Amino acid sequence: MNTSQIALLGNPNTGKTSLFNALTGSYAYVGNWSGVTVEKKIGEMRNKQGKLIDLPGIYTLSPLSQDESVVTNFLVNESFTEILNIVDASQLKRNLNLTVQLLELGRPITIGLNMMDVARQRGIHIDSNQLSKELKVPVIPIIARTGQGCERLNNCIASEEKEMIDPLRLDYGPILEETIKKMKDLIPECNGIPKRWMAIQYLEGNSEMMKQLESSDSELKIIAKEADRTLKEEKVAKSTQHHIADVRDKFIQNIIDASCEVKIHAKETLTDIVDRIVTNRFLGIPIFLGLMYLMFMLTFNWLGTPLSDGLDAFIGGPLTNWLTAGLEAVGASTFIKDLILKGIVAGVGGVLVFVPQIFILFFFISLLEDSGYMARVAVIMDKIMESIGLNGKAFIPLIIGFGCNVPGVMAARTVEQPKERLLTVMLTPFMSCSARLPVYALFAGAFFAEHQALIVLSMYVLGIVVALALAKFLSSTILKQEKSMFFVELPPYRMPQMRTLWRSTWEKGKGFVRKAGTYIFGGSVLIWLLAYTGPSGINVAMDDSFLAMIGGVIAPLLVPLGFGTWQAAASLLTGFLAKEVVVASMSIIYFVPEAQLQGFMAGQFTPLSAYAFMVFILLYVPCLATVAVIRKETNSKKWMTLSIVYGLVIAYILVFIIYQGGKILGFS
Amino acid sequence: MILSDLKQGEKAKVIDYSNVDELIRLRFFQLGMKENKEIYVKRKLPFGGPYVIESCGQCISIRKEEAEKIKVKAK
Repeated sequence: MNTSQIALLGNPNTGKTSLFNALTGSYAYVGNWSGVTVEKKIGEMRNKQGKLIDLPGIYTLSPLSQDESVVTNFLVNESFTEILNIVDASQLKRNLNLTVQLLELGRPITIGLNMMDVARQRGIHIDSNQLSKELKVPVIPIIARTGQGCERLNNCIASEEKEMIDPLRLDYGPILEETIKKMKDLIPECNGIPKRWMAIQYLEGNSEMMKQLESSDSELKIIAKEADRTLKEEKVAKSTQHHIADVRDKFIQNIIDASCEVKIHAKETLTDIVDRIVTNRFLGIPIFLGLMYLMFMLTFNWLGTPLSDGLDAFIGGPLTNWLTAGLEAVGASTFIKDLILKGIVAGVGGVLVFVPQIFILFFFISLLEDSGYMARVAVIMDKIMESIGLNGKAFIPLIIGFGCNVPGVMAARTVEQPKERLLTVMLTPFMSCSARLPVYALFAGAFFAEHQALIVLSMYVLGIVVALALAKFLSSTILKQEKSMFFVELPPYRMPQMRTLWRSTWEKGKGFVRKAGTYIFGGSVLIWLLAYTGPSGINVAMDDSFLAMIGGVIAPLLVPLGFGTWQAAASLLTGFLAKEVVVASMSIIYFVPEAQLQGFMAGQFTPLSAYAFMVFILLYVPCLATVAVIRKETNSKKWMTLSIVYGLVIAYILVFIIYQGGKILGFS
Repeated sequence: MILSDLKQGEKAKVIDYSNVDELIRLRFFQLGMKENKEIYVKRKLPFGGPYVIESCGQCISIRKEEAEKIKVKAK
């Protein structure tokens, strides 16, 4: 049967992604949840027996941040046939808290007991059969990272038609039981979800559930308040939440006592040792900067550039020759030949040569994410981020933004405070994404061959500095906030798995390749056509083309910045589609292969104006896709427009200062 | 006594979390970090930076100002 829809749920850092990768072949599609803009990832099970739905990691169903609110919404409003709950065996108590909430829902559920190896190392022995008996649902021990046990898990889920199970029924004591009974009468029927579960979620303070029950909220609130007061008066607990947690804790403790044996030996773990070094008082920041430097050198100098050069030689040499021969053999017209060779090959090829560098960069970002080092970066950077009104966690979306601004903007969801989140969203476009890299690589290669990595690194640093300055400005003016907050969990380090790394590198990088086939392809054809045609007809001299006319209108504005040519203006215009289109445009406009383009540029720019152009590309406007995602994430046209306007203004002013200042200082 | 009175590497018992900012208090609660449990200051970052603390098997990081709101008792 092919209709099973399995929801994958679990705490953060429990190996959810590893399990997802082990159980599914590839993402069937990535979409959005209805109403909220959180990425929904769905994968086809390897055994073709159903679809696996990847949900954000949560500790409990009560959301504290935007991405967490998706889960309750999903459980209530979306259709699924069963739940796969991944549980970290080394943190059983905390993980079972979520499990209890899911058991109360009464949907068919299978538990994947992950990290059995880590638990064993820590002296925790779990009898999974006993655990299964206690919870009355199947429990399969697995090691998701190596794939051990996943076969069995696969056979257990989606194997047969599952019937609804009896919801777990804990006795919350006379006061709350009476309250729940009263609430059940008020709660409307909703997709067959147990009213008791909804009532308990409401009492726990699940804000998503409160939203769901808005229609009867005022009456429910009175009942809930009454219960809270009674619990306090009779000294049962400090609050309803505490009371519910106590009841569950007792239940969970009994289960753990019955199914676990713990022989704690307090040994210093590898994580402790690594942490002592990388979060060291003095070494923390230098180590982080050193790692960043290593990452850039590998991407741009040591590894990426030779690969890109090889690919460029192939596209400019053999591939072009084959295509020319092929086109001549089929007797293509000059127009078609020009379109393909001078338009598409020049445009798309000029961008595709950067694929190796971009994949290397994405690989390192994935490595930072998977290993657990990202959370440490948040700790190290918090003090600096605090001084500009943000917290250390906001630094993570910014690093992701180096790869691509779009996931960077979306990653801002993990920042709990709404104002800090908005600020993070607005700063991310200044992070120099991989699409800007082709432009830098082109110019740095032509003008600063000996200091290529250093010049490119200066772009990244400049992007960060501008972002931080803007953050300081916004957080002390428009977004003045009472308080910034910081909380981050530091998961144990894990040795990254090649399979997971490759997969997440590919997931990130394929967008770039896809763009080459869509935006850049379309952009190239359009630019070539505009350059090929003019008021006087077709096949005109480039200087008499429509493109030259359009660029010529803007060019005077750019004269004070050092690159007031119609070619530069036209390239910048196209860069709004996607920043790498700038390179495609230049390849077409100057019609020279990438390798010769660099030499050719030397006649068009001076080193100073080349640097000015690079800075302008870095800052001027976010690309179309980023603008769209800002609009979605902030849910505001105002902020979207602002992101474009301040980008342009800052870019213009800063580049003006750099170019005019540089001239005064005698650079050329 | 408050958590920030502890030196790096010292342990204590938590008496009261109630002064901690609500969002962070709720997160502690979700992670099962409750009163009467042991807490351990693993690291204090320089220049008044954040603390890395461990309690109930959880390793987390919070700011100094938050650590100053956690009441503890020396063991």
